[in-house]
Amino acid sequence: MKKKKNHRTIFSRFRSIRNTITVAFSTLMILAMLIFLLISWYFTKKSMYENSVNYSYQIIKQVNYDINYYIGYMMNISSIVSKSSDVLQYLYNEDQTEEEIKKEHDRILSQFATIRGSRNDIYNIAAVAKNGHRILNDGTDKFTGYIDIEDESWYKAALSSVEGVSISSSHVQNAIQESYQWVITLSRPLVNYKTKKKDGVFFVDLNYSAISKLCNNNSLGDKGYIFILDKDGKIVYHPKQDLIYGGILSENTKQIMKNKSNSFLSEDGSKLYTVSRSDLTGWTTVGVIYTQELMKNNKQTQILYLLIAMILLLGVTVMSDVISGEITKPIRQLHDSMNLVEEGCFDEANIDVTTDNEVGNLSESFNIMAERIHALMEQNVYEQKQKRKSELKALQAQINPHFLYNTLDSIIWMSEGGKNDEVVLMTSALAKLLRQSISNDKEEVSIAEEINYVKSYMLIQKMRYADKLDYSIKIAPEIESTRIVKLTLQPIVENAIYHGLKYKKTKGNISIEGSKLGENACITISDDGVGMETETLDRIFKKREQTKSNGVGVYNVQKRLKLYYGEEYGISYLSRKGVGTMATITLPIADKKNDKKYDK
Amino acid sequence: MINKAKKNIVFIFIIFGVIFLLFFILLTPKNREKKAYKIILIPKTVDETNDFWSSLMAGAKLGSKDLDVDLKIIGEKSEENVKGQIKDIEESAKRKPDALIVAPSSYSKMSGNLETITDKGMKLVLIDSVVDKDIAESIVATNNFMAGKKLGELAKTLLNHDDEIGIVAHVMGASTAIERERGIKEGLGKYKDQIADTVFTGSSYDRAYTRTEEMLKKHSNIKVIIGTNEYSAVGAARAIKDQGLAEKVKIVGFDNSIEEIQMLEAGIFQGIVIQKPFNMGYLSIQQTVKILEGEPVEDFLDSGYKMITKDNMYEEENQRLLYPFTRQQ
Repeated sequence: MKKKKNHRTIFSRFRSIRNTITVAFSTLMILAMLIFLLISWYFTKKSMYENSVNYSYQIIKQVNYDINYYIGYMMNISSIVSKSSDVLQYLYNEDQTEEEIKKEHDRILSQFATIRGSRNDIYNIAAVAKNGHRILNDGTDKFTGYIDIEDESWYKAALSSVEGVSISSSHVQNAIQESYQWVITLSRPLVNYKTKKKDGVFFVDLNYSAISKLCNNNSLGDKGYIFILDKDGKIVYHPKQDLIYGGILSENTKQIMKNKSNSFLSEDGSKLYTVSRSDLTGWTTVGVIYTQELMKNNKQTQILYLLIAMILLLGVTVMSDVISGEITKPIRQLHDSMNLVEEGCFDEANIDVTTDNEVGNLSESFNIMAERIHALMEQNVYEQKQKRKSELKALQAQINPHFLYNTLDSIIWMSEGGKNDEVVLMTSALAKLLRQSISNDKEEVSIAEEINYVKSYMLIQKMRYADKLDYSIKIAPEIESTRIVKLTLQPIVENAIYHGLKYKKTKGNISIEGSKLGENACITISDDGVGMETETLDRIFKKREQTKSNGVGVYNVQKRLKLYYGEEYGISYLSRKGVGTMATITLPIADKKNDKKYDK
Repeated sequence: MINKAKKNIVFIFIIFGVIFLLFFILLTPKNREKKAYKIILIPKTVDETNDFWSSLMAGAKLGSKDLDVDLKIIGEKSEENVKGQIKDIEESAKRKPDALIVAPSSYSKMSGNLETITDKGMKLVLIDSVVDKDIAESIVATNNFMAGKKLGELAKTLLNHDDEIGIVAHVMGASTAIERERGIKEGLGKYKDQIADTVFTGSSYDRAYTRTEEMLKKHSNIKVIIGTNEYSAVGAARAIKDQGLAEKVKIVGFDNSIEEIQMLEAGIFQGIVIQKPFNMGYLSIQQTVKILEGEPVEDFLDSGYKMITKDNMYEEENQRLLYPFTRQQ
């Protein structure tokens, strides 16, 4: 037959199904949980990112709007001034009287003062004509002589601008004497009404801090910031511009200018850029958020998720342990009851079948099987008993043919010798012996009856061996009625004759004594024969010893005694070479036959 | 049997715990909220009107914000107050900061005090100037020797063959003064023998003014004056301007202020070497944090300098350095 391969399954390392189920459940749950966690993590992160982009974009748009509003306002003001007739007359009309010029000058200055008064973020306001006519602020400030205004980039930009207005990037205004302020210059060309040519520039210097405040007022997290690039990608404002100019920090302006979308991540993924462009100024407002800061909030969510998952898992583990315990309970019951059956306790092995599933069916089958085994075992024991009984009967029915022949031979010799009395005695003893052995309806007899049987046997033997054998029987009256298994004493006596006295040269004695010893009855059969050696003793107890005995060997006697009365009862031998042998039979006096239950 | 089952549950829980712990560690960002480092900055002066030091402090403040540093600035009104600075150092040490950033106002007088700080386990970073002992973890400063050399080279071009040179230096014994003077001499090359006099002004406009007057009286052949810091250079320039010598005596100097720029524009200064104090302040914080984190740092970190002349002062890049935006805020 092909040997079944000894497969080790994944779960074979566990010592109980309960654990297997618990571990399997829990493992599945962990897997499910982890997958769930990863997915929710991913989506939380994603939505957080999207929210941040949206939030940032809204702020940037707002900043952009504010700047546009601010610049737009200034544009309107500048538009009014640059087109006012006072300014143009003052700058280009060479034919006016001094009084007229002074009046215009005063009116312009008061207009400038109004504008400057309404907005404290205007540093300078001025009109500059190529012909050398200039008007600046309140009339006291002067232009510096060190530089030529017409070389300034904002001046050129105004003249060349298509829209009629130009906004510079942030720069230091060098044109005003003893003033070096960071400004944004809004400049417009002035048109000489006489020549219709762009013949000068009107400009307003806006305090650069106004722009930086707009950016600073909006925060993008603790470390996030907003900065502004002009249309060429140069930095208009940056909260860390000193670092940028100092060469410590750099901003990837090229990528920002190139990028068309509203947001993107920096190459190393550490910064999130949000971009909004203005058509009015041509500037790009950029918001920077550190992704690390975003993830800080995300971490709280992660911890919450983890906590929930932990608690769920704990619950699931406990539950799966309980459930697996319930599932495997019938199996454990089955196992316990199988153990009982192994030990032979059939009575307690019956299982209550409470479930209707496979294990229930199994338990039912087991119950049936256990009952069947129990019945079979009982039947087997009963049959064994019956068999032994019939064996015994068969044995009891036998009288050793040798013994019969020898006895009959002795009778013949005696009758030939005319010893009629002895013939009668021996024949009657033989008849008695035969009758007793035939009357086998009872298994047990009283000790008295058994002694009678032994007496008949001894009588025959004594007559046969005459001067070589003598015997004495002394039984205490209180044990005479004690029950003894039939044919117990005779084989032992026979044994004593054939192994003890037969080889003795002189006359031998057999003495049978019976007495009460505590709860037991004690019968000793002692001879003063040659005694037995240990191996002879051993041989006696061996099964089916071929002797010329009455057929019932000592072995059988011993076996029957133990069977009937229990292991503590039976025959014990004591023998010494040249002194004799003593066999002791111990029997219970009380009628406690433990074979009763087998007989039932 | 029950005991065994319990053991199993405990075992399972332990496995869970380990799995979750691993997961947690994997997902937690590496840079957890760490304790902010306590750093004390002691500049030579906390004078708000001094562009150099206020710019440096602004840089340090930005650095501390960027790097989550708990920064305190302690200092004296005057650069000359060496005793005051020593007292400040000792008091700062009592506050047990993680690190001290010091701009020592003396080359030799406070090295002992600074050494006790490093002995106590606090980290020491020197900015702008150094001391006579090599005890700082790192130095963040302008390469004064190279900057001085540049200025010396510029001065060389202004000299006629037998013109004399006057040096208006700031604090005697300050490492910056020493280094700059050394650099100037190197830059002057063979003309260094034409240095007629060196005066010390103690970082005071008035003293620079009077010392320059005296020097010019003594050495009428001085045609080039070199100022080694803002006080010295501006004081000297004022004196020259007031005496109407602007055409005859040319002046070059260190550092940057509105007055200095105006005089550069006006042609009184021929050139100025400007440092990058904002960078210096910012880098000093960055460097100190690196040291506290145990990262390797260079012993000397150059914060940079730039030579500005009338010709290049209007260039955008130089404008940004000349007029630090922090000044306007």
